[in-house]
Amino acid sequence: MLGGGTLQGLGNPPARCDVTISTAKLNTVIEYDPRDLTIALGAGVTLRSLAATLAKHGQFVPIDAPHPDRATIGGTLAAGWIGPRRATYGRPRDYVIGTTAALADGTLSSAGGMVVKNVTGYDVSKLFVGSLGTLGALVRVNLKALPAPQTMRVAIASLPELTRERALEHIAALSVEPTAMLFVRGFHREIDGSDGLDGRLFVLYEGSQAVVDRATRELRSALGAAGVPGTSILDSNAQRAYQRTIDACTSSIAQRSLTLRSQGLPDNALVRYATMESIAEEHHLALDVIVDARTGDVFARFLASGAEAMPYVAEELVDGARERLSGLVVIAGDARVRASIDAWGPPPASFEKLRALKERFDPRGTLAPGRLVGGI
Amino acid sequence: MPPGLAASLIDALGPDAVKTEPEDLAVYGYDADTAEAEHLPDAAVIPKDARDVCAAVRIAKAHGVPIVPRGAGTGLCGGAVPVAGGVVITFSRMNRILELDVPNRRARVQAGLINLDLSRATATHGLFYAPDPSSQKISTIGGNVGTNAGGPHCLSYGTTTNHVLGIEFVDESGELVRTSLDDPGYDLTGALVGSEGTLGVVTGVDVRLMRLPESVRVCVAAFESVEAASETVSAIIGAGIIATALEIIDKVMVEAIEANYHAGYPTGAGAVLLVEVAGYTEEMNHNESAIAEIARRHGALSWTAARDAAQREALWAARKGAAGAVGRISPNYYIQDACVPRTRLPQALHAIDEIALDHRLIVGNVFHAGDGNLHPLLMFDRRDPRQIQAVVDAGTEILRTCIDMGGTISGEHGIGYEKRETLSMVYNTADLATMGRIRDVLDPSRCFNPNKIFPTGAICGEVKTSVA
Repeated sequence: MLGGGTLQGLGNPPARCDVTISTAKLNTVIEYDPRDLTIALGAGVTLRSLAATLAKHGQFVPIDAPHPDRATIGGTLAAGWIGPRRATYGRPRDYVIGTTAALADGTLSSAGGMVVKNVTGYDVSKLFVGSLGTLGALVRVNLKALPAPQTMRVAIASLPELTRERALEHIAALSVEPTAMLFVRGFHREIDGSDGLDGRLFVLYEGSQAVVDRATRELRSALGAAGVPGTSILDSNAQRAYQRTIDACTSSIAQRSLTLRSQGLPDNALVRYATMESIAEEHHLALDVIVDARTGDVFARFLASGAEAMPYVAEELVDGARERLSGLVVIAGDARVRASIDAWGPPPASFEKLRALKERFDPRGTLAPGRLVGGI
Repeated sequence: MPPGLAASLIDALGPDAVKTEPEDLAVYGYDADTAEAEHLPDAAVIPKDARDVCAAVRIAKAHGVPIVPRGAGTGLCGGAVPVAGGVVITFSRMNRILELDVPNRRARVQAGLINLDLSRATATHGLFYAPDPSSQKISTIGGNVGTNAGGPHCLSYGTTTNHVLGIEFVDESGELVRTSLDDPGYDLTGALVGSEGTLGVVTGVDVRLMRLPESVRVCVAAFESVEAASETVSAIIGAGIIATALEIIDKVMVEAIEANYHAGYPTGAGAVLLVEVAGYTEEMNHNESAIAEIARRHGALSWTAARDAAQREALWAARKGAAGAVGRISPNYYIQDACVPRTRLPQALHAIDEIALDHRLIVGNVFHAGDGNLHPLLMFDRRDPRQIQAVVDAGTEILRTCIDMGGTISGEHGIGYEKRETLSMVYNTADLATMGRIRDVLDPSRCFNPNKIFPTGAICGEVKTSVA
């Protein structure tokens, strides 16, 4: 299955691929009454087009994936993408109220509906989200929408190492919570501006003007108290600046880079970042990193100086990292770099059930074989 | 009871944890559904930990009897009733918070923890557990997971499934399995929530906690009619104003509630709209005045804000205890649960009125209007067979009407035993077969809570309901 092709670097490549099915023409809005705050879409609708449709009526769905101009709703959900704003709004899956999927035997199967509360039989839609097309192909997706926030603001502050922990602690104690908060170090090419060696904090606020103003005042004084130099504010460019950090999460550089994501608890994200730093040093690699302080995700892009090095160190790098960090998955990198590594690592405790589900839904292994954890 | 079942259970769990006498079992023959028939289990067990649950599942399987998990028995559609006998597993001893992780806003709890106890325990840390079904004073987190319980605050916080981060459950071989949303692979956690105990026995739940809102205000507005109140709700949603709860209580129910609880609801009007706005103070103030203005434009007869936390609590307590006040109107009631797209609310309410009238029944409405989640209460007297039949017929007609409006047959109570024959009104054979596949994997022998959710007659052979 192929959506916008923006998350192809996530997971293992299929063990075999004879036919690719593109959702490009499933690109229409099927049902949308803004007063219901629900929308039904073909799986091939891009996130940008979805956002534009909803924005006309002052609504949005909080799914922040890389490259929304190309990423499709079906592909983003199937890939199980989860962005930083889930700390505030919940996961993309929480906005799915119904799906129609084409199964391996050629039947169409629907679940859920167009209502926001629904307990009628199993919540089958949940299985397709994050399945990378291995159980069925999403054809239609029904979502619930939210009223769009009045204001979006991004505050950016340079964050020297000595202030880092204290600054994050201070922000966590503020009365207004950031919608998302990312610490970025590196990614000079992908994200505007140079940040020297310190790294920068991107704090996103969404809400009414009054609340966002209060948040900014609080943030400035908290950062000041933590010894952080000036804070710059983006309003009209906030969306663009935020999107760039999201895009950076999966960006790769030819055959020289490999990006890992470590999921874990927010309060040890900085510790995991430090571990990534020592791993990079041990392998003589450069490191670009995004630490999502509210969800605990750490995106680490390891970068080799020469074009030939990365494919050779990738396996050792990932194996070594997995010895020190759990919940580590490969989310971006050139196919040649990823060839020798398992994107998922050890299967979860429930793996026998997952394998059996694959077997029951797709006994002949027709759909995206081997793409998901444990070779399913 | 199969020979040896009781002895094996006692041997494994201890004599205090196993009930087999009819007088002890009677309590497990019902839930809060109005169905008259009682179905006694062969035995009921009260495990002290997940290992006990594993043992009970293995023993029940070995004896070929069904396994029926039970929370507090507050379900409204017979989901916890052991209709085919077997072993009921109840969780009153597994009611603890195992871990409370304040910085990361999560908690690991046992399945039998009472919903409200979790929010009470976390409040001192400025956190709460958002799903708040009306039964929250007694219903358990495990039971809430079974039915993907909702409540009035789903409007802004979502249902149980949006707050469950992982599940520990006992599978059909009696093994303990743990799931997490952070695991790679299929979202087993999401598939288990709302599966009404048919895929395994949930023993523990990892939940997401939320920061308590800075400010909360609760207001009540009186309207001429339930339609006017629901037009107002549609307008509020349509205007993009975020309320944390929008509940409608019709005249019949307001009179009963006020007579019972004296909470301060305006009586005499056709309907009352209960509005809660919460969040940052500036936003809350703004949203409250915007909603009040919409209400006025839609003919609100009054608009009153609760004076203080105590009155706010009183209004909520009365709302959540609404069903308990029905005794003032009628000896029995049947509460239906259906959901429609929000814009269809006024029409759905009108249709419900007509259906009740056709069947000569009194109907009361108290419902989660902001979500389009209807709860008509059909009043009847069990001693009159005509009325019983009328309630059954009217209930089915209401569901049919809601489906025709693009809605569904349960928003938050589940399907259970009572509504299983209506599931095929919503889903076709292929859709049900997909659900059957999930069950084939997690409960191939159909030992978990048989004869629930799925229609009898084994649609397409995929959805079996017999116990192997």
